Amino acid sequence: MGKPYRYIGKATPRRDGAEIVTGRSHFVDDLRFERLLHGKVLRSPHAHAIIRSIDSSRAESLGGVKAVLTWENIPDLRYGNPRVFRLLDPKVRYVGDAVAVIAAESEEIAREAAGLVEIDYEVLPAVFGDYEASAPGAPQLYDEFPGNVLPLGDPFLGPKSMVEIATGDVESGFSEADVIFEGKCGYDNLPNPMPMESPRVVALWGRAAEGPDAVTFWVSNQAPYLMKAVLGSILGGNVDVRVFGGPCGGSFGSKLMSWQPMCYAALLSKNTGRPVKVVYSKEEHLAAFTLRPSSRLDIKVGMKKDGTVTAIAGDWLIGTGSYSQTTQAQVAVGCGEAMLAVRCKNWNVKPRIVCTNRTASGIARGFGGQELKCALFPILSRGMAKLEIDPLDFMKKNFIRPGEGYLWRNAQWYDYRGIDFTKMMDKGAEVFGWEQKWKGWLKPTTVEGNRRIGVGVGVHGNADVGEDVSEAYVRLDGNGRVVVHSCLQEHGTGQRSNALKVVAEVFQTPLEWVSMTPADTMVNPFEFGPFGSRGTYIILGAIVRAAEDAKKKLFELAAPMLGCDASELDTADGFIWAKTAPEKRLRWQRVLFQRTVLGYGRFEPDYSLSNCLMSFVEVEVDTDTGKLTLLRVVNATDVGQIIDPQGLEGQLCGCLGTAGIDSAIFEETVLDPLSGRILNANMIDYKWRTSSELPAIENVVFETPMPTHRFHAIGVGEIATSPGPSAVLMAASNAVGVWLDGYPVTPAKILSALGKLGSAGKIKDGANGK
Amino acid sequence: MKTFDHYDARSIDEALGLLGKHRGKARLNAGGTDLLGLLKDRVLPQYPELIVNIKTIPGLDYIEEDGERLRIGALARLCDLAGSRLLQERYGVICEAALAVAGPQIRNVATIGGNLCQDVRCWYYRYPAHLGGGMLCARKGRGPCFAVKGDNRYHAVIGAGKCFAVCPSDLAVALAALDGHMTLVSHRGERRVGVGDFFSPLRNVLEADEFVKEIDVPKASVPRLQRFLKFTLRKPIDFAVVSVAAVTEVKDGIYSDARIVIGGVAPGPFRAGKAEEELIGCEPGDAVAAQAAEAALEGARPLSKNAWKIEVARALIKRTVYR
Amino acid sequence: MTGEIFASNVESAAGDKQMSLMVNAHSYLLTVGNRPGEVDPAHTLAFTLRETLGLTGTKVSCDKGACGGCTVLMDGKAVLSCMLLTIECGGKEITTIEGLMEPKTGALDPLQQSFIDHSAFQCGFCTPGMIMSAKALLAENPSPSEEEIKEALSGNFCRCISQYQVVEAVKAVSGKKR
Repeated sequence: MGKPYRYIGKATPRRDGAEIVTGRSHFVDDLRFERLLHGKVLRSPHAHAIIRSIDSSRAESLGGVKAVLTWENIPDLRYGNPRVFRLLDPKVRYVGDAVAVIAAESEEIAREAAGLVEIDYEVLPAVFGDYEASAPGAPQLYDEFPGNVLPLGDPFLGPKSMVEIATGDVESGFSEADVIFEGKCGYDNLPNPMPMESPRVVALWGRAAEGPDAVTFWVSNQAPYLMKAVLGSILGGNVDVRVFGGPCGGSFGSKLMSWQPMCYAALLSKNTGRPVKVVYSKEEHLAAFTLRPSSRLDIKVGMKKDGTVTAIAGDWLIGTGSYSQTTQAQVAVGCGEAMLAVRCKNWNVKPRIVCTNRTASGIARGFGGQELKCALFPILSRGMAKLEIDPLDFMKKNFIRPGEGYLWRNAQWYDYRGIDFTKMMDKGAEVFGWEQKWKGWLKPTTVEGNRRIGVGVGVHGNADVGEDVSEAYVRLDGNGRVVVHSCLQEHGTGQRSNALKVVAEVFQTPLEWVSMTPADTMVNPFEFGPFGSRGTYIILGAIVRAAEDAKKKLFELAAPMLGCDASELDTADGFIWAKTAPEKRLRWQRVLFQRTVLGYGRFEPDYSLSNCLMSFVEVEVDTDTGKLTLLRVVNATDVGQIIDPQGLEGQLCGCLGTAGIDSAIFEETVLDPLSGRILNANMIDYKWRTSSELPAIENVVFETPMPTHRFHAIGVGEIATSPGPSAVLMAASNAVGVWLDGYPVTPAKILSALGKLGSAGKIKDGANGK
Repeated sequence: MKTFDHYDARSIDEALGLLGKHRGKARLNAGGTDLLGLLKDRVLPQYPELIVNIKTIPGLDYIEEDGERLRIGALARLCDLAGSRLLQERYGVICEAALAVAGPQIRNVATIGGNLCQDVRCWYYRYPAHLGGGMLCARKGRGPCFAVKGDNRYHAVIGAGKCFAVCPSDLAVALAALDGHMTLVSHRGERRVGVGDFFSPLRNVLEADEFVKEIDVPKASVPRLQRFLKFTLRKPIDFAVVSVAAVTEVKDGIYSDARIVIGGVAPGPFRAGKAEEELIGCEPGDAVAAQAAEAALEGARPLSKNAWKIEVARALIKRTVYR
Repeated sequence: MTGEIFASNVESAAGDKQMSLMVNAHSYLLTVGNRPGEVDPAHTLAFTLRETLGLTGTKVSCDKGACGGCTVLMDGKAVLSCMLLTIECGGKEITTIEGLMEPKTGALDPLQQSFIDHSAFQCGFCTPGMIMSAKALLAENPSPSEEEIKEALSGNFCRCISQYQVVEAVKAVSGKKR
């Protein structure tokens, strides 16, 4: 079937491709500034301590040092949810917490100066475990949070954000069940989104044009407007914040948590009158920035023989580490995502967020839903196993369908108006060979000596595809070219190039006639940013509307010149004509002589649609060494309409990295149980997927038109990472024949599950060497 | 990196002179793939005042056989070892071990001498200074071994004392299985040390004024079976969780000689004498391989989280000895 | 600093120690020292390329030799510029991503074009390093197998998982000249 489109659905080169492959893409650290200073952070050696005194005089007197900031000489700036977390605090709450920031002529001088700051600490007992943190007598991180429990709810989501999953009556639900079971599961290995480019920013305080209370940021980020809003709210209402978004070397949500380095750079710049750059080292990135939240679910489930879930009740414990910026929002979205994936009339799941003495958790691809479902599906699996229900059938039966609904992040009920995803799930199963490979619960697909193969499946959907607001202008110039004004930031998804495609499609112009303003908050209208797969529906939707608005205005100008009604006109390749008289063509330039046409588009939030991705995985377990190898992944999804096939392929293959599938295989952050230090804060000990060990991946993509914008597309990139981890756990359990219920599935866990570590595994600490 | 003085040595004598003059405050640099990491993270108790480049010393990158021995200059790169026809044909474990190190870019600069002299990967020892200060431990001359009560999943299960870090060198394991020796030079003269004896729990035996000049291996009189296997969570990049090199001779259908060396389990390459005893005099086969594997780490005393390494070592021994 | 320390490098008439660095077929004469624009003995090649010579196409990510982002060619072989001291690179021929284009016409190397054609990148931060590793492979082995391509790229981190498309991009130009 031929596509009706000129560009949409076809492979077109990324607009920034030539810059990327030649090394001319200017990431933040590639920008050049005159008189640039380098900022460094002095970090705490203690997991929990009060700073009794700081003496920075020696550091200040080192040649080349321009400023040393501590909590004593900066304003009391606070951020987070709730807004109690100080930028620099007289109390430190994790090893690596910021104690002082230094600006110097070189990075090396700044680092040297950090070693000269003298601090007297009063060391406090620390707590690292989420359960331990809320136990009686646990060390308290904040006076504001007794028991280390943070309040739920995020004011940003509205007056009534989702703070629990509570619908129906769980007691009557349990009474309808054929089987009732209880289970606990944790997805608590704290993987790191770990974009390749670490957090980094250049700030310049004060500009001649905008006055002394203006600050400009060049920051590696995913959403300039959000950074502008965040920094504006921290620095105070009268500070004019401008944010440039250039190329970003990966974010996966995490870079939205850059308020600390941005504030460091801003204050250092304000103090020195010079631009200041703060670049986190990879070690800082891994140990002093942001991790996935930890998630532990302890629930009771009622299930019927046909796979109907009658009730789910229990507790969801979320660990946020030293502070929270968005953890409450992640909990709210996660709760909604659970309802999308598991149809159940009676829920009573109570989340609780605790803080501990480790670096903070925050945004990571999968925003709350991945964390919840990686714990939920392994528990549901126990019930499916009791009832001998095939998990594919369970997921097909229980994923949201038209005629149903769910509570979303603002605690409002939404009637789902999207499509039924069953067909694509069936196709994915067929491509994977599920029917042949699935042998039943805890049954391997094949056994050959010590090599056992197992399969698993997971599913995820997200109604964030329609979250928040986007605005755009589309400007038609006298020369017949089209300029899109949008603060859409390129962070790897290719969405800026996609925006050019949809606009070229609207005007039927050559693709190269369309260009886009830099993602600069000063010249562009509001844009929430490409999060949660919202780019395809909401951002492109706003841009399409702006383009259509501009086209309408263009036609209104052209109509009298062609002597007909605007509604009769059509355009392509810079000409306009009446559909009834196509031989009489008018050039855009004639219409736009000494004139600019500006179209405006805005898209309001719409939480009544969800995307869906199902991942099938096949793993091999070596029962001698305990090693798990991921052999094959089949992703199945329906995107409504492909915008760019290569870009989509890239997003779906992204299921492995960014704390996705591999968080079930080898990704984890290792915390020293005694000191709380993160031990694997480097790219050798923090494991990531290499080219020589790529599993086979096949992506099955359906295009059932979605009720979104005129191109009927829906985004799916964000959720690529989410169905996989629990699928791997399922596959590993089936391969081994024993339930595995911890991430990642390390060789030690497999050997232990197989009973191979016997007495040796039980030897207590310190037995060696005596 | 904090600055230092730098000198391109033209001869071993020149390098030795500088080591002597700077009394422990000079460090030799070959490939640099380990040293630069140590300097950047400020791991070493004493930051060097002088770096002596030894890549500028000519003629130290040979791989050649004489009448009795295979001789490898300390500056031979891992890519050279992996690509050497001589090694591929007669000393296969060296090639396998060289290819198992890190990734291609590292192998293009890292040297055999550097691989043997590299510092341990213990994550307590290597904790970077700029994340709240480094961790003073037994290996640094002051403090405990944090691994004992901490996260010791990768630490030693046998032969460790005050420090439970394991030998990170893959080449050491292969070379020990070939009965390799290292020639160390100082102004006091030369000494030969068995590769297995080069390592001890707190440090290697190289003195601050010594230079690793050459690695040698006896030529084999009879054909041998050689195999090196390395277990890691990922094939490239990673240091060995466990590695095994097995070099065996089979005469008249029975093992006449065997050297089995295990890496990643002890402060040095661990020679599994008990496993060797199980093999000698027996017919090759699954059963005897399993017995050897069972005996290999007899006496191992795992810490709280590293018992799994013993199981991995057994699996690897079975696979290296017989498959 | 003693006179002998840099004896192997050239001493200029003014008494400054100098070294020459050959990058992308251009010879740079650099002064050894710790003033701005000079090469400190502790400077890595990655630092010198980016900060002293302004060749920012080479990216630094882990700065510890574990991610391949800073890969350049040294005498034709892929090496990690974050783990080399600039002062030890005198006399070597360095090629960076900036050196791949046809110098006169500015035409892209076929490998670069193939990366564009296959959208073999997402965020693009790893791409220069990936291309340099692939370039070194193709120079040594113009018709590599898929396994050889994956092995050659095994030291290059990509968090977005562009590797599938990278392998296709390299395959598409293998067996071809240049």
